[in-house]
Amino acid sequence: MREYAVPLVLALLLHAGVAAALVQNWERAPEQPRQVRAPSIEAKLLVMERPQAPPMPSAQAAPPPQPKPATPPPKPKPAPPPPPKPRQEPDAEAERRAEEERRRAERERKLRALDEESTFSSLEEEAAAMELNASERAAMSHMQAIRLAIIRAWSRPPSARNGMQARLQIMLAPTGELLSVALLDSSGNAAFDRSTEQAVRRVRRFEVPDDRRLFEAEFRRFTMLFRPEDLLR
Amino acid sequence: MAEPISILDLVVDASPLVQFVMVLLALASVVSWVLIFQRWFALNRVRREIDDFEDEFWSGIDLNQLKTDLEAEEHLTGIESVFRAGFDEYQRLATQPDTDPDAVMQNVQRAMRVAVTREEERLGRHLPFLATVGSTSPYIGLFGTVWGIMNSFRSLSGMTQATLTAVAPGISEALVATAMGLFAAIPAVIGYNRFQSRVEILMRRHEAFADELASILHRVAHTAPAGS
Repeated sequence: MREYAVPLVLALLLHAGVAAALVQNWERAPEQPRQVRAPSIEAKLLVMERPQAPPMPSAQAAPPPQPKPATPPPKPKPAPPPPPKPRQEPDAEAERRAEEERRRAERERKLRALDEESTFSSLEEEAAAMELNASERAAMSHMQAIRLAIIRAWSRPPSARNGMQARLQIMLAPTGELLSVALLDSSGNAAFDRSTEQAVRRVRRFEVPDDRRLFEAEFRRFTMLFRPEDLLR
Repeated sequence: MAEPISILDLVVDASPLVQFVMVLLALASVVSWVLIFQRWFALNRVRREIDDFEDEFWSGIDLNQLKTDLEAEEHLTGIESVFRAGFDEYQRLATQPDTDPDAVMQNVQRAMRVAVTREEERLGRHLPFLATVGSTSPYIGLFGTVWGIMNSFRSLSGMTQATLTAVAPGISEALVATAMGLFAAIPAVIGYNRFQSRVEILMRRHEAFADELASILHRVAHTAPAGS
């Protein structure tokens, strides 16, 4: 029997090793899916806006010369034809055209100025927002996670059509548990409304921020809009 | 995404029959590994013994001297017992008067064949168990899996809505049984095949040795018919 002692120890060690490796691997596995969900916030509008702003003034400078050469030609034209009879018509036409041109240029300039102003103001706003909204972004990412969870649980009824929309009011407990869900605006299709409610109920437990103030502000009670077309993608 | 269930939970939450299958398979795996290691050591030892004995045998030592050396040992290895069976038989018959050398040789060869057969049985011990584990444990695992899946589908029939989350844990848990069956079977099959071929090689060496000894004794018996 002694000749089996060493093999027994070896075999038990081997199995213990395999079991330990198996358990540890299983503990490490869940890290990956959590990382995938992180980049759900895309608040990078700012980067796109900046290069667009400089070309605006230069574009504004370029067009004005255009209308100017456009206006002189009509003037010389009416000068030679004074002898002929139909003197008034071309003159009036040219004047009208010049007037139109001027008006259009002015309108364009105004529009452009307005546009510029608005882009600048939105830039400033956005910069301010960027500084302020760390908590808002956390809220957004959580909201995005909630939306994804609901979408994943949502099975659209076959009668769902583009253009339908249902608005639900969802109330959550601070632990993320669903307290209640109520239909605010019906889509007009009972099956569709029911499917949205069911989707929310099926998730049951939502991920909410740990920050208590943020939760009270954004997640205690919120509404969610359901549209089938943004899900068919 | 919900957290994947840990494999420990799967094993603990499995239904009793599936758990029984798992325990059976774990046991089979442990025992077959014990036997794999044991055979590994044993066959290596036998090969070393044959090498050593053949070195000694072909070193030109007097066979009578070799025999008395062996009598001093309390534990005879396989090839030594073959030698002793043949040589003892020869001495016993050759010392008697009026024996036919051919009859002596026949008896000697028979004695050695018996010793070789006994040795073969000793070398191949436990190999049938490995073969059994290798061929049946996948089926046992499959049985556990089928049972587990059956149950998980049966519980599904009571629900109004068939969701993947309702079946997935049951199937996952059931598949653990198949995984364990394969885990037990694969080493057993590999071990069985490998040891089987090694036993065969060792047996051939025993037989070759028996033939060589027989030819030596044959020469002695025929060149010295008068007996020692």
